[in-house]
Amino acid sequence: MKTVEKIVNPVKRAGEQSPGKIYSDKLKVRARREWRGVKDTFYDYTRWLYLMSVLGRFIIVPRNVKGFFRYRWMMSYLFVPHGMDKFTIGLRDEALRIAHTSFNFVIADVTQAIANCFRGDRRVGNDKAYSDKCVITDENSMVTFMMGFDKEKVHTILREVPTMFASNIFHQFNVMHYLDVAQLNGIPGDVCPMPEAEAGISIDDDFCVLGCCAVQNNTTCDGSLMGNGIIAKRLERQYGIPTFQLATPLRHKEPDVLEYAADQIKQAIAFVEEHTGEHWDWDKYFAAAKRVNYATKCRIAQMEINSTPYPQFFGAAFSLYNDTNYMGNSGRDPNFVPIDRKLLELAEKGYKAKRMYAKEYRHRAIVWGVQPQYVIDMLYWMVQCWGVVPLTDMLSVINTDMIAEEDTPENREQAYRDMAMLNMEMIMRNHTHGGYKVLVDELWELCEKMNADIVMMWEHMSCKALTGMHGMFEDQARERGIHIMWVSHDLCDPRVFTRNAIRDQVSNYMRTVMREEPLDPSLEHIPDDEAY
Amino acid sequence: MMKKLLKLPLILLGIALGFFVVTFTVYFFNLDMKATALLAPLLEKWYDSREHDQYI
Repeated sequence: MKTVEKIVNPVKRAGEQSPGKIYSDKLKVRARREWRGVKDTFYDYTRWLYLMSVLGRFIIVPRNVKGFFRYRWMMSYLFVPHGMDKFTIGLRDEALRIAHTSFNFVIADVTQAIANCFRGDRRVGNDKAYSDKCVITDENSMVTFMMGFDKEKVHTILREVPTMFASNIFHQFNVMHYLDVAQLNGIPGDVCPMPEAEAGISIDDDFCVLGCCAVQNNTTCDGSLMGNGIIAKRLERQYGIPTFQLATPLRHKEPDVLEYAADQIKQAIAFVEEHTGEHWDWDKYFAAAKRVNYATKCRIAQMEINSTPYPQFFGAAFSLYNDTNYMGNSGRDPNFVPIDRKLLELAEKGYKAKRMYAKEYRHRAIVWGVQPQYVIDMLYWMVQCWGVVPLTDMLSVINTDMIAEEDTPENREQAYRDMAMLNMEMIMRNHTHGGYKVLVDELWELCEKMNADIVMMWEHMSCKALTGMHGMFEDQARERGIHIMWVSHDLCDPRVFTRNAIRDQVSNYMRTVMREEPLDPSLEHIPDDEAY
Repeated sequence: MMKKLLKLPLILLGIALGFFVVTFTVYFFNLDMKATALLAPLLEKWYDSREHDQYI
């Protein structure tokens, strides 16, 4: 079997050595926060103050208070600081700053998204003039078709992100109610719980209702199509919000699908223009395209650092920051640029200083498949407890091509193809669809490039897209001498696999197959199954 | 007047120190999240009590 060089951290971690001690089986939150030495504890404290200020500024607006008591999912946002702590387990120095810089920005972005939803919501803010310029977009859609609209005039509302996707990170039980609603209304229980929960939110009338139109996407699976059907029906028939179906080819590596996909983008843009009364602006588009390219360059540079013995930016913060930057933003917001730059500077600084997340790196892992939201700290746990470094996750392995960014007549036509390419190869779809090459072959290429000896394979038990390839992964991993560690979960339903049931699969593999003992025994069993 | 002006930095320092001691205690002992965890069951009851227009 393939092996990698073990690296021992020559620097003893400041502060406490066993962060597992801060968990308690008597509480649904941590007993206290981690002592990271004076400098890093003070830094973490200042970031906590910043988060409190973000939440405070949100809740002093009366309509946001009204929205808080109207929508069940808002309870999750009381637990934002608890959620942030999941991203910083055992971290010090640059790693701590990278986690805060990236995920604090995501939190601020999601908070703004909620405020925007409440402003236009017919039941909360009811700002009709604002709502008439809002376009509801699908959670799993790249919003490339909005890149050429002035974001001050046309507002992109990804209402599923704060309602379902982000809320499950902060509060692991918050989606269960909506899953129950969906199943009580006849949706089978073996559907992916993400679109099922979104369908449940729609059935339960717990989405904000705003916008002059909506754009849905045939996202990543049959479950998404089912959920979108239910959501679109309510939007159109009950709320009178016309909904465009952006049909995106799934075999995105086939060159003959590109023209069709580009035509779909043109139609989506025309639909938005018709309903908002605003026009596509090529200056706005190419400015956004430059920012998309900059984000791509920064992400490639981060992946190159992660290919070295001293990876710097990985784990859930890497994945969720990329999600937000690519899918939710798509170059429209210039505020992402300085964050991209700062994150790269921090990673370069950490690389030069040979900073490590844990006291030992024993294995280098590629994380493939889809991560469960309710155990979002899993990858940090894996490196702290077992010394397995998650070099990258599948969701972060996305487009590496530069798109046209100069405004010329040829590039205006190319732009539609670029938007189509980004949309087809967006997070999730780029590997779970597109055929054998993107799901299986590219994994082994990545293992080679990043010098990985383990593939940690998230096996989302309700995901039909990946299940069919199980045997091929096993056979080919064996041929290549790469360890493959299957970790089952149910995405956002903790009743099926609890957090400890998920972590135990890794611990069992490390003990029985690798014959290893944990780096930090205090973390092997964390009493957090009942915690938020 | 001068005495009052000289005292001002001390007063500001005292306020800053008091703010730090209180907020750092809340932060370190996770009192913010412990209080939230007490509040959550009450909020759940509130959300459960609401009528919902279920539609499929």
